[in-house]
Amino acid sequence: MRRHSRRVFNVCYRFVGNRTEAEDISQEVFLRVYKTLGSYRSAHGGFTTWMTSVTRNLLIDHYRRTKRDRLTDSLDDAMPVVENKESTARRPDEQALLGELSGQVQMALTRLSPELREAVILRDLQQLEYAAIQQVLGVPEGTVKSRINRGRIELARLLQQMGVRPS
Amino acid sequence: MTWTCDQIEARLSDYLDGLLAGAESAEFERHAEGCAQCGPLLASVKSLVSEMHAMKEVEVPPRLVYTILDQTLGPRETATGWKAFLNFIRELASPKFAYGAASVMATLVILVGASGFSWRKPKLADLSPTSVYRKADQKIHLGKAQVVKYISDLRVVYEIQSRLRQDQGDLQAQPEETRPKSAPEKDPGQTDDHTHAQPRQQNRANEMARQMEMLAAECPMILERSYR
Repeated sequence: MRRHSRRVFNVCYRFVGNRTEAEDISQEVFLRVYKTLGSYRSAHGGFTTWMTSVTRNLLIDHYRRTKRDRLTDSLDDAMPVVENKESTARRPDEQALLGELSGQVQMALTRLSPELREAVILRDLQQLEYAAIQQVLGVPEGTVKSRINRGRIELARLLQQMGVRPS
Repeated sequence: MTWTCDQIEARLSDYLDGLLAGAESAEFERHAEGCAQCGPLLASVKSLVSEMHAMKEVEVPPRLVYTILDQTLGPRETATGWKAFLNFIRELASPKFAYGAASVMATLVILVGASGFSWRKPKLADLSPTSVYRKADQKIHLGKAQVVKYISDLRVVYEIQSRLRQDQGDLQAQPEETRPKSAPEKDPGQTDDHTHAQPRQQNRANEMARQMEMLAAECPMILERSYR
């Protein structure tokens, strides 16, 4: 339970960049898992993968719900690589994060489009295999690879714009 | 085959994840080393990936697990009235609580006994702080005196033992003809009429006998143990 909650909370936090929202979504994830446990089949690629899929679906739902507040392009459009900068007005806790490299990476992550963001989080922060990511996202392996690659490059460029230089 | 910058960018993650074949990887590196655009890009993405792999997990809020349990399994039932009392009694009867209570009681009994409280004739006055302090102080002094006496007794025994060893050594070092003949019916240190003991030996033997008598009178137990 603690292991799963830790993993789910981390995925949520990396995606939304906010502890309170991550906590709320994590609760929703467990509630959904509890209610739909009967629909779980081992063919889904293991319980962890299935739970990550539930987490990902709820994160996308959350993103769509808050879309209007964010002034971003539509998720169903041509998938912008970078979110609108106006949507990322920095809160005080975000300002504190900018002091360290991991905080700067987190800030840059929240500016990526949700599709690239989720791919990078699953690959480089959760360190899942390509096959597992493919199952979680429900897209072909080529698309997974492409999203991870584009996500990494855009993230590196964003960090460069923020004045972070590679070590 | 010569790679273009677009191809390098498209296969960048394949290179970093080790998915390129040997020849492709070599060509990729050759291009990246010589390209002013792809070289820095590769360096920054490589640094970013290693930074993300090293990023620590975020600490989970402590209340999260309890909130999830409350939402999924429902809030924990809190017993009231008779149920709560029965639960309390059940907890008292648990082995864990019994062991804890027994150890606390044993500690209390030892402490109260050490403070001079008499269990046969219990008096409330014995538990007053002044009385407890006085008795504890008395016990400490008594204990200290006993230890000091024991140590001084030991010193006496060791001194006598060392002198006995010294005398034994002296006797063995002397030639056979000068050694006094022992007579079982005589006192220790005395010789027969024909060979007179030297004054020094006679004095030492007398001194030893006197010390042994003193020691036997003072601490018979220690003497007995040391010669056993």
